Amino acid sequence: MALTEPRKGQNHITSVPSESELRRDVVTGRWVIINTSHPSRVGDFEFESADVKGTGTCPFCPGNEAMTPPEVYAERPSGGQPNGPGWTLRVVPNKFPALQIEGDLQRRGIGIFDMSRGVGAHEVIVESTNHQWQLADLDAPDIARTLHAYQLRSRELRGDQRLKYVLIFKNHGVAAGASLEHTHSQLIALPVVPIRVADELNGCAQHFEYRDRCAYCDVLHQELEARERVVCETSAFAVFAPYVSRFPYELCILPKFHRADFLLVPDDELQDLARALREALRRLRSALKNPAYNFILHTAPIEEGNREDYHWHFELMPTLRQVAGFEWGTGFYINPTPPELAAEDLRNASI
Amino acid sequence: MPELRKDPVTGRWVIIATERAKRPNDFPHPQGVPSEEPCPFCEGREDRTPPEIFALRPSKSQPNGPGWQVRVVPSVAPVLRIEGQLDRRGYGAYDVMRGIGAHEVIIESPRHCGDLTELSDEDVHAVLQTYQARLNDLQHDPRFKYVLLFKNHGRAAGGGYIPHVRSQLIATPVTPKRVKEELEGAKQYFHYRDRCLYCDMIAQERESGTRVVCESEHGIVLAPFASRFPFELCLLPKRHSCDFGSTAAAELQGIARTLRQMLTSLKQTLANPPYNYIVHTAPFRRPTSTRAHYWRTIKEDYHWHLEIMPRLTRMAGFEWGTGFYINPTPPEDAVTYLRDQQPQERHGTH
Repeated sequence: MALTEPRKGQNHITSVPSESELRRDVVTGRWVIINTSHPSRVGDFEFESADVKGTGTCPFCPGNEAMTPPEVYAERPSGGQPNGPGWTLRVVPNKFPALQIEGDLQRRGIGIFDMSRGVGAHEVIVESTNHQWQLADLDAPDIARTLHAYQLRSRELRGDQRLKYVLIFKNHGVAAGASLEHTHSQLIALPVVPIRVADELNGCAQHFEYRDRCAYCDVLHQELEARERVVCETSAFAVFAPYVSRFPYELCILPKFHRADFLLVPDDELQDLARALREALRRLRSALKNPAYNFILHTAPIEEGNREDYHWHFELMPTLRQVAGFEWGTGFYINPTPPELAAEDLRNASI
Repeated sequence: MPELRKDPVTGRWVIIATERAKRPNDFPHPQGVPSEEPCPFCEGREDRTPPEIFALRPSKSQPNGPGWQVRVVPSVAPVLRIEGQLDRRGYGAYDVMRGIGAHEVIIESPRHCGDLTELSDEDVHAVLQTYQARLNDLQHDPRFKYVLLFKNHGRAAGGGYIPHVRSQLIATPVTPKRVKEELEGAKQYFHYRDRCLYCDMIAQERESGTRVVCESEHGIVLAPFASRFPFELCLLPKRHSCDFGSTAAAELQGIARTLRQMLTSLKQTLANPPYNYIVHTAPFRRPTSTRAHYWRTIKEDYHWHLEIMPRLTRMAGFEWGTGFYINPTPPEDAVTYLRDQQPQERHGTH
C-alpha cells in the first residue's frame, strides 16, 4: 500500500484509540507500527484472490502421478500401487528442488564468505485429489491427515545427521508464491537453523531466563483473558490476531498445552488442531473474499524438542498488499489494520 | 548443485538455486496504469501538498511556490505523528508506545518523470544532498533514534499510483531490528579482526571481480555474495565512513554518478523493474544516551551503504517465516547481464 497517498475505500468508526501505536513483539523484540488512526478494513485492500482456475494439466491430479518424481509417502485407504491413482494424500519430492538430498555439505570459506553445498530435502504434500478444493474445503479429519503427514515426513528426515531444521509451510494462491494451484503444502529440511527461527528461540530463551516462564504461555494467558484479539478457540487451541501483527489479518494458532515440538503432538490434539485451522482458514476466506495466504509451522529444531522455553505454533498470513522497501530493509512493519479490528471482522465473518 | 551462502554481516543463509538459474527475461512485471489526476508533486502545484519542510531553491525562490530543485513535504497519510511524547508503557506481557515519528516525502524533481535515471548526475547529487540535510536536521530531535531513507519504485515495490520520482523517510523512536542486526554483525567482525567488514568485502570483491557491477573513484556497486533476491545490488562508498550524513560534497557527487549508473543498467537489463532501495547508515549517537558506550567503535566498525532490491519474484511463506531466502539468479550471473548494459563505463578491475 502506498504510504504517501490517502487510502481508497472508507474507513470505519471504531473504539480503537485514534492514534498510531508502536508495539513490540515479546519474543523477537521486533517493533511494529499499528495504524489505528486510519485503519484499513476488509474492503480496503486491492489484492489478487486465490480462486481456482482449473486450466491446463495438473501434475497433482489423480492419473498424472507420472508427472511428479516418485512418491515418498502416500495414503491409499482402498489399496493401489505406488505412483498410481487410488491415493487420498500424496507426498513427492519437489520437481525443482531448492535443495538436494545427496552428498555432504562441504562447508568452506571463500575469504570472508562462508558457504556449503545446498544439501537438504524439498518435498510437496498434496493434500487432496480434488483440484477444485482448497484446504479450507476439506473436512477436519482430512486436514488432520495432512497434519499427520507433516509429522511422519519430519520424523523420517530427522534421522538425517546433516539436517538441523524441518520447515513446513503452505503458499496458497499466486500472490503468496504458489506456482501450482492444486492444494498442497511444502516441507524443506535444512542443514542450518534459519535466522528468524533462531531469533524466536533466543527471544524465548531470554524470556524464560528472566521469568522462568514460557513467553508464548504468557501471551496465551493474556489473550484468553483480554479476548479482544481472539478469533476462535477449541479445547486445545486459541486462534488470535497477535498484538504485534505485522500484516493485516495475520493470525496465530497457539496450542494451549505447552510443548516445544510439533512432532510430539498426539493424535487427538491433531484432530483439534485441524478444526482450529479449518475455522481460521474459512473465516479468512469469508471475510476477505478468498485471499492468497501463507502459513508456517514454527517448531523446535531437530534434537531440541525437549526445550522448556519454546512453544510450537502456526503463523497464518493473508497476502493483502505488497510489502514496501521500508519493511524489507528494516524488519520494522507498518500494519494498517489494528489486530483488535481484524479479530472483530473475523469473528463476525459468516462460515 | 545449489549452494548455501551465508551473509557475513547478519549471518543469514541464502539458497542460491544454481540449477534453475533465472535470466532477466524470466521475470515478467506488469507496469502499473498511471493515474489520470493532475500530479500533486509537479512544479506549480505546490499547494496540493502540505507546506514544505525543506527545499533546494537555487534561485532563492519563495517557499511553497515554483523554482525548486528538490522539495520535502510531510506525508499526507503519515504512519507516525510528529507531535507529542513517546509515553512508553507496558501492557501485560507486551510493550507499547505512542506512534511518534516523522514521515516525509522527498520529491526528487520538479518535472514529471518516473525515476532518477531521467535526471542528470547533478540533479541526483542534489537529491542525495537533500537526504543528508533531512538526516542531519532530524538528528537534533532527541526522541528519534534512526532515520530510514528509502524509495519504493513501481507499484509492485509498494510505490504510489502517481509516477513522479520521489523517496520517503521515516524517523523512528527505536532502532529497527534489521539495522541492529547489521550493526551487531559489523561490530562483532571488528572486535575479532580490528578491521571493517565492508572494507574487507570491497577489497575481496575488487580482487575477484566476479560480483562487481561498476565502480568509480568514490563508489563501488556489488552483487552481494549471499544475495537474497535476483539482481540485488549494494552501492558502497570506497572511503570508510559509518555516516552517510557526513559525506563531503565532492564524494557525494561521485556517489550520485555511481547511483545513477547502477539504476540505468538495472533499468536497461530488466526493462524498468519495480525496486526498493534503502540507505543503511549509522543510528543517531548522542553522548548523553544511556547506550552511548554501546556504539563506541561504530565509526571504525560500520560502513554506510545503499541496498537495492528489484522486486522480480514473489516472496513466499518460506522466506517470511524464516528469513531464509531462495534466490534463483546467482549474483555472478546477474553481474554479467548488468555489465553488458554499460559498455562505455567499464573499468579496469573486471
